[in-house]
Amino acid sequence: MTETDDNHLEAYVRAALALQGYSFGDAEIAQIVMQFSRLETISRTVFDWPLPFASEPAPVFRP
Amino acid sequence: MASAADVAQQIAKGARSAASVLAECKALIRAKDPDLNCFTAKTFERAEREAAAIDATYAEGRALPPLAGVPFAVKNLFDIEGMVTLAGAKINAGNAPAAADAKIVARMSRAGAVLVGALNMEELAYGFLTENHHYGITRNPHDRSRGAGGSSGGSAAAVGAGMLPITLGSDTSGSIRVPASLCGVFGLKPTYGRLPRTGTYPFVSSLDHVGPFANSVLGLALAYDAMQGPDPADPACAQRASEPAGVSLLLPRGIRIGILGGWFHEWADPAARRSVQLAAAALGATEWTELKSAEVARAAAYIITGAEGGALHRPRLIEQYEDFGPASRSRLVAGGLIPATWVIQAQRVRRHAYAQAMELFERFDLLIAAAAPAVAPKVGQETLLINGRSIPTKAGLGVLTQPISCIGLPVCTVPVWPGEGDSAEERALPVGVQLIGAPWREDLCLAAARTLEQAGIAAVRARD
Repeated sequence: MTETDDNHLEAYVRAALALQGYSFGDAEIAQIVMQFSRLETISRTVFDWPLPFASEPAPVFRP
Repeated sequence: MASAADVAQQIAKGARSAASVLAECKALIRAKDPDLNCFTAKTFERAEREAAAIDATYAEGRALPPLAGVPFAVKNLFDIEGMVTLAGAKINAGNAPAAADAKIVARMSRAGAVLVGALNMEELAYGFLTENHHYGITRNPHDRSRGAGGSSGGSAAAVGAGMLPITLGSDTSGSIRVPASLCGVFGLKPTYGRLPRTGTYPFVSSLDHVGPFANSVLGLALAYDAMQGPDPADPACAQRASEPAGVSLLLPRGIRIGILGGWFHEWADPAARRSVQLAAAALGATEWTELKSAEVARAAAYIITGAEGGALHRPRLIEQYEDFGPASRSRLVAGGLIPATWVIQAQRVRRHAYAQAMELFERFDLLIAAAAPAVAPKVGQETLLINGRSIPTKAGLGVLTQPISCIGLPVCTVPVWPGEGDSAEERALPVGVQLIGAPWREDLCLAAARTLEQAGIAAVRARD
């Protein structure tokens, strides 16, 4: 991941935290950015997997 | 302690009273638990009432239910009437006591089992260790310097230490199978939706399963059968009738068993591979196969877990962040920030991985793989080294279980003793094997487990 990617990631985390009503200091935000970075790395695996366009998501709401 | 079947049989024949079994159980807990830290609460007064009721039923000459007088305990995320449900978290300590038992706890009681307490777990069930920041570390009954695994660590260690014949736990990504593997006990994660979660503290609704641990396959099957049945209160619970598995634990002739290679072989160290080899040989399995979507299914489980767990706990993370343990709070908040596109893609992957697994079940009736990549790590050990690759312990212990629970397949984990390792202490530790069935085929998983138990390959080894 490049420095620009890192900056985008941190900017996303800060914006999303504010949007969701969190208020943290820089030390906590650094921890959350590190955790989010791991999730972002894992998310690439699911996007790299070839899926048919019409694949249904798994959960089905059954009233 | 004797197996559940033996205890129930002795009581039914009048060879022992439920009160005497309970007295033995309490003595074992008092002797062993201080070293291991399995229990967070004991329910001995309730247990004495329940045991007395069993003995009164016997004295009156009435028929006893199948688990009459068998002591059991539950992970502390199951509601117990009159007690606060902790789910391993300080943030829950001030909650009101539960008004009723969780559905499957009530079903165990109805089957005659005697509840003796609540068991330690990873905070909020988020992790494969039971190194709980608030309620302490649960240690491995076979080596106190090692962990019990998690998140149902107290449940596995209590059985492995010989305190109890049956306990209950939950499994979102491996939380029954990993501690069963590390503590050397039998564990059953049924098909997603088989057992109701009503009255259990949730974590990831679309992945949460509940199930039993036991010191014998028959005990596991008896507990599983006692807990089956529909429950409209849990929207994920399948509305299908009980399909008793304990009636016959015979493996059908001609059963086709595949050994999972690829991801499951790469992430198994020599001890884990040896466990699989021993189980495969005893079951007559020789053909290797591959679940090609294993890695991506694991990734999908990670994303779904992060998103659902983070969303569930958001209100209290905002208000009480400092009251969450340091190992879970930043992970939970980060999970709550996952964009919807990732979650939906993960759920699409999940469906696709399930379809691939169903293709495998056209060729095989059962699949086998190790339940953990290695023997139990030392308490506080930061990384696992698996075939030259390093992986964080906290995440790595679930590397072989997550792909399977992601697609909801039933799994019986059996304790195998591979005798592999760099030191004598490692060679004395178990690595479990997953016996994986097609949906709703818990009966085959249990029958294969019974075959391995009878062959002497799978066994719970008593600890002093």
